[in-house]
Amino acid sequence: MAMPQMDPAKLQLVQELEIEMMSDMYNRLVTACHRKCIPLKYHEPELGKGESVCLDRCVAKYLDVHERIGKKLSNMSQGESEDLTKVNIPEKK
Amino acid sequence: MTTPGEMSEADQIKTFKDFLTQYNKLSELCFNDCVHDFTSRKLRSSEDKCTVNCMEKYLRTNQRVSQRFHEFQMIANENMLALAQKSPN
Repeated sequence: MAMPQMDPAKLQLVQELEIEMMSDMYNRLVTACHRKCIPLKYHEPELGKGESVCLDRCVAKYLDVHERIGKKLSNMSQGESEDLTKVNIPEKK
Repeated sequence: MTTPGEMSEADQIKTFKDFLTQYNKLSELCFNDCVHDFTSRKLRSSEDKCTVNCMEKYLRTNQRVSQRFHEFQMIANENMLALAQKSPN
């Protein structure tokens, strides 16, 4: 999962970037699922049952899409760089 | 490094920044969703109620999404660990 042979300073930079990207993704996830699952009429402060179930599914689907797109993107960029250099493929599930 | 249980200054600033960002976002969201009438200078009681409900509901939404998100994170981490143990390189 982590990139091999990298000096600690660079590794930390990569890790910070990863955390930042994660929290950005999380914020987008909350915004998207809130928009899709919570009706604009705020009659009560509690989450309704339907709303809760919708949120659960929304999170699962969002992360699914996130993973799929990630795979597609890395496939695409791998295809591009494959002709230039033989890099070891970063293993990612 | 910091002592456990204590945040570094940078972390505290980051937390504060996140809080302010969240605050602004919440104001924007609930204002847009709840306040439509500008025939009066004052917030109507229905608007006031709506904004308060909006805020509380959003926070609950965030809480629930956070729970699910962390569950998925845990599973993903476990899968990654299992994969790493199977093929050490």
